[in-house]
Amino acid sequence: MYTFEPLRPGAPPLPQRANCVTGVIATAFVCAALSGSAYAQQTPPPDIVFKNATVMTASHGTIEHGAVWVHAGKIAGVGASVNAPAGTAVVDATGLWLTPGIIDPHSHSALDSDVNEATSPVTPSMHMIDAFDNRDKALYHALAGGVTTELLLHGSANMIGGQAVVIKNKVGLDRDAMLFPNAPGSIKFASGENPKRVYGGRNQLPSTRMGNFEVMRQAFEDAKNYMATLDAYNAKVAKGDKDAIPPKRDLKLEALADVLRGKLYVQIHCYRADEFLTEEAIAHEYGYKIRAFHHALEMYKVADKIAPEQTAIATFTDWWGFKDEAWDAIPWNAVMSMRKGVRVALKSDSNDHIRRLNQEAGKMVHYGGATEDEAIRMVTLNPAWIIGVDQQTGSIDVGKDADLVLWNKDPLSTYARAQKVYIDGDLFFDSSLPGLGTPHFSGVMHGDNEAGSDDEEDGQ
Amino acid sequence: MKKLLFFSGPISTYAGCPILAPSFWRKGGKPQNYVVAGSIVALLLACLSVSLFAQDAANKVIAISGARLLTVSHGVIENGVLVMADGKIAAIGEAGKVTIPKGAQIIDAHGMTVYPGLIDPETNFGLTEIESDQNSNDLAEPSDEIMPHMHVADAFHAETELIPVARLNGITNAVVAPASDDTIAGQDIFIQLAGADRDAMILGRDVALAMNYGADQRRRGGRAGGKAEFPSTRMGLITQLRQTFLDVQDYMAHRDAAAKKDDKPDTAKDAKPDAKKDDKIFKRDLKLEALIPYLKGERPVVIGVYEGYDIETIMALAQEFHLKVILNHVTHSQEILDKIAAYKVPVIVGSIYDFPRANERFDAVYTLPAELAKRGVKIAISSADAGGPVSSHSSRNLPYAAGFAVAYGLPYDEALKAITLNVAEMFGFSDQLGSLDVGKTANVVIANGDPLDVRTDVKQVYIQGVPVPMVTRQTQLRDEYSK
Repeated sequence: MYTFEPLRPGAPPLPQRANCVTGVIATAFVCAALSGSAYAQQTPPPDIVFKNATVMTASHGTIEHGAVWVHAGKIAGVGASVNAPAGTAVVDATGLWLTPGIIDPHSHSALDSDVNEATSPVTPSMHMIDAFDNRDKALYHALAGGVTTELLLHGSANMIGGQAVVIKNKVGLDRDAMLFPNAPGSIKFASGENPKRVYGGRNQLPSTRMGNFEVMRQAFEDAKNYMATLDAYNAKVAKGDKDAIPPKRDLKLEALADVLRGKLYVQIHCYRADEFLTEEAIAHEYGYKIRAFHHALEMYKVADKIAPEQTAIATFTDWWGFKDEAWDAIPWNAVMSMRKGVRVALKSDSNDHIRRLNQEAGKMVHYGGATEDEAIRMVTLNPAWIIGVDQQTGSIDVGKDADLVLWNKDPLSTYARAQKVYIDGDLFFDSSLPGLGTPHFSGVMHGDNEAGSDDEEDGQ
Repeated sequence: MKKLLFFSGPISTYAGCPILAPSFWRKGGKPQNYVVAGSIVALLLACLSVSLFAQDAANKVIAISGARLLTVSHGVIENGVLVMADGKIAAIGEAGKVTIPKGAQIIDAHGMTVYPGLIDPETNFGLTEIESDQNSNDLAEPSDEIMPHMHVADAFHAETELIPVARLNGITNAVVAPASDDTIAGQDIFIQLAGADRDAMILGRDVALAMNYGADQRRRGGRAGGKAEFPSTRMGLITQLRQTFLDVQDYMAHRDAAAKKDDKPDTAKDAKPDAKKDDKIFKRDLKLEALIPYLKGERPVVIGVYEGYDIETIMALAQEFHLKVILNHVTHSQEILDKIAAYKVPVIVGSIYDFPRANERFDAVYTLPAELAKRGVKIAISSADAGGPVSSHSSRNLPYAAGFAVAYGLPYDEALKAITLNVAEMFGFSDQLGSLDVGKTANVVIANGDPLDVRTDVKQVYIQGVPVPMVTRQTQLRDEYSK
């Protein structure tokens, strides 16, 4: 079958850009500060052995007085002891906790105010990478809270929004060095109040939930026609028709076709129980899978129906009442849904809460009695699965990226502070350092778009 | 001695219970009269723990035994006893040293932590329900900048769902303030998070004046069809405030003069019965009149202000008019902390989650409570999020904000005070609230651990010595869908 080359593939990654532009003094100065970027691509960080830590693996329980060996940026050993070569640098983690890096599957950080292309309810060819500002202070704040990976999503103004970018929170490196290598692509959908408010407010379609879903169906009908046109062209070529003219390339329909081809993970902003069911029905009708419902505050009502679909949720812990569709939000949603078989991640949707997702996980012990293992998984391995990078990160297992956080206290308590944050085995945050505590960053940060939330940034 | 089932029960312990409206408080007669409400309490408790102590539930005397008591005022009592009678704390001390009155209902709370009900120093309880629904909001009156005659008590919706949600996590009292649109936004109330009706829940009307100063109060765009209006600058804001305060002083002088004339014996009365007593009738001005107690320094003025240079400006004005100030927010004031300490005013710090400015260290705001306390400032901590929903919906997270301050250097005792006794002192309720002391109102919380830790579950809240049903619309939904 004829398909166009993906324009913005998650894999292989985008070509690396030149790190620094020469000829401008100010830029050159910044380049010096960012010189780590060149190194990060070339030289693996030194090996480390963490000893005597409380190791919360997220995949196979907690190891008291455990050890983790980091070799060439990957986890090379984990257990009561590890077989690291003599002479490997040792971090004595006595009295400290070691967890996988925190992963936020729903962030709008570092996009300035370009979260929503709210000029049409269907904008699947928008790419968040085009707005990604790697100097935004929100990334640094999140890093200091132990966040190593983020899914930067389009906002929720549109039924079908843009395509996400997955980053590793390597504060100080250049923009392309912060992209998560080989991460699959995700696309953001939304339903409910936001699209109908944004477009209804302009007396446009959609202004109701009926309108919302009809806009979606029409978009997929258009995509099917587009694909049929491509198929017809391919058939002509296959028959040896040398005069066949290739159809006009349409970025929007191409992106939608990628959804139907299963090439993009579908991430849906959605609050109400009835809408989960409608979204799943439409997904079945058009033959794509929904990777995760985001917000998903009413999942506890229909979790038994959603669990067999293997759609995960990325939910708030205890936000409620900020709009009508958040009126039935309960803080037990995450654990109740998990008990019914739904894969549950916690997310921030906020430049505030992204800084303490570990506490949000701790709340799950309180609201519903999650085990510590289950709670930590909600901010590590489960969000990694939602993003599609759970083979690379999200737990402390041999072979995975050494994305690790060293905490001074139990990370599920109110009192925990991230002391050191490693990404691919390299130290990107160290609270014991003076100033910002960022070994790879000493430049100037940006930061005007403070809230970093869907609902704050719905493009109105 | 009876052990409460709910201390060890799963979250669905109450699942088989018919839902008892949390609003029973409002149907149970006057708040002081628990005999009236007693039978409802008995029914509820019977439901929660079968018939274990139903016969005792109507008792006025409750003794919590064996718990770790965080008194706030006089340290921690391990294995303590707290006796509540007639809505007050009747006795507190170590087990064995406190006489439990005969017939008291004894709550075995071994392994539990007991502390005074938490007090949120800034909420919008009863002024909002659903943030995005304007019909449910009575947050501020932005039509003018000077609105001291807006009384929160007039809008307070006692039946709001937000109150039971916060109460479930141990919040028993709060200040309700208008939103921060105006330089003078209105007058706060101090409430109790349970009661028969609005009047029973409002412990104090007009307890403080809500003021704000900074960039957000400037009238720029957005209002009046997008064009700026006076005052569109900080110069305008301050000038307008100063003129207002001068107007109040002038008003007071005229009012006092008019009152003196009224008081004089009317000697001319007999001679000219229909003659006017005065040149003109004194006309009341509600706006100016509302400010009098504050200009007299009789009640506190809570000034919401973020930036250091704004604090210096507004404090100069406040000192000029001898206002009794409580500073609020101060999250971007790191460069003048010594000066803030020198003002000798209490400070509501926060949101502790407010964002540092670009290029500041990530913990520039997290460390603020500790830095102020270190300088001898009396601090309170509020529940506000940064960039999240309005504080009222997340008031239940108040203890975690205090705990986070501990993570960044605030001594634990100071953190607990910052959400209990210090708040009570700032707003004039420390004779009744804020600590576990004999004679104070029995607003008491039993939890299964450290109140400031996110993992801790509150098991029972007592307000005026009566167990509040641990039921909210949210627990009802939880239980309905747990079946």
